[in-house]
Amino acid sequence: MEGLGIHLSSLIAQVFNFGLLLLLLYMFAYKPVIKMLDQRAAKIKESVDQTEQIKQQAELAEKETARIIAEASKEGQKIIEQATQIGEETKQKAKQDAKLEAERIIAKAKLEIERERDDAIGELRNAFADLTVMAAGKVINRSLDKEQHRQLIDKVLEESNVLSKN
Amino acid sequence: MAKKKGCLGCSFPVAIVVVLVILAIGVVSLLSGAFGSSLFGDLGLPEWLSVSVPHPELPAATIFHIGSIPITNTMITAWITIIVLVAFFYFGTRNMKLIPGRYQMIIESVIGYILGLCQDIAGEKYGRKFFAIVATIFLFVITNAWISLIPGIGSIIVHTAEGEAELFRGVNTDINFPLALALVSFVFVEYWGIKTLGIKYFTKFLNTRKLTSSICKLFKGDIKGGLSGIFYGIIDIFIGLIELLSELMRIISFTFRLFGNMTGGEILMLMMVFLAPFLLAIPFYGLELLVGFIQALVFSSLTLVFANIAVNPAHAEE
Repeated sequence: MEGLGIHLSSLIAQVFNFGLLLLLLYMFAYKPVIKMLDQRAAKIKESVDQTEQIKQQAELAEKETARIIAEASKEGQKIIEQATQIGEETKQKAKQDAKLEAERIIAKAKLEIERERDDAIGELRNAFADLTVMAAGKVINRSLDKEQHRQLIDKVLEESNVLSKN
Repeated sequence: MAKKKGCLGCSFPVAIVVVLVILAIGVVSLLSGAFGSSLFGDLGLPEWLSVSVPHPELPAATIFHIGSIPITNTMITAWITIIVLVAFFYFGTRNMKLIPGRYQMIIESVIGYILGLCQDIAGEKYGRKFFAIVATIFLFVITNAWISLIPGIGSIIVHTAEGEAELFRGVNTDINFPLALALVSFVFVEYWGIKTLGIKYFTKFLNTRKLTSSICKLFKGDIKGGLSGIFYGIIDIFIGLIELLSELMRIISFTFRLFGNMTGGEILMLMMVFLAPFLLAIPFYGLELLVGFIQALVFSSLTLVFANIAVNPAHAEE
């Protein structure tokens, strides 16, 4: 043992040196570095997770957007269709209304015309009768009972059928 | 990229001069060393060129005493190693940042490398527990080895009570250091074995289970089964003894592996310098750098492997 140089005191001193180094390195190297490595690993994991999450969210949002656009497009299509339909209906109705109104006006006008004509005929007849009575009175120089005359003329006119009603 | 003219990054004339100088040094080195003097006799070269025959001694020289404790040159070098290592890590870890600088990155990669080794071999759980000891062994051994490679470190001679001695000497070449490390490693391995497995850890060395059970069988009347059981039981006990012996042998193999490699390397370099003072030793410096790394790795990873064996139950009992 002496030839190799093994001494108990040296041996103990070297074990002590090792222990000292272990302690110092643990304090100044292992603990802070491992803490830092773990911290960084956690941080990286966190950001990777976050990225994944954000990616998923973006995907979801994209899908949602696509869905909304599709829906809106469908909705728009529907509204346009509806509007077209309503327009068409309105047009039809207006046409109908106009036609009805026109018909009504025409009917009314016809009625008016008829009435005017009747009135005119009546007036003409009266005038004619008066005129005839007057003329006849002048001719025969005597006055006939007005009522009798009228009846007479009416009768003649009926018979003559010249200015008959309708 | 412009095409470079010349050779080895120099222009041709410079390269030629460099090669000539190297050749001249080589020739002088060959002539002045032991080779030259044995081949050509004394050429009358200046005295400072010749290197005296090295007398390597295995025991470390005592430089001075503190009380009755002798302080050897290897112990002083060990303290220097400790100071270097602690300073290196202290300044690197003073203000660590999440985004590391270059210095912090170097430190982190060193620690990360050893931690990775521990976790690869011993798994996530034990890797971290074994890490401190394993890393300290690795760093201590490799720094010792490389510090002793600093040129001129063995040339500082001091006068002591016992004559002249080198002030610094590679710690790995003093057998007390490898032995101390081996003992630490041994105690560490046994500690973890006992701590994890409890009393069951010792059944690895004294496995009487089969023997007792077969003796019971024998008393119950199963002669044939009992006898063969006793035979296997005795084999188990014998295996346990071998296991115990090998556990103790590890101390010796640990010690002499490191001591032998490092001392051998040291002597090899001394001899090379003696044979030819210049140039010849340079390749061996490279070799010794590698050897220092390998020995550190071997010592620490063997400790790790042994500790890993100790914490895992040897054989799943039937």
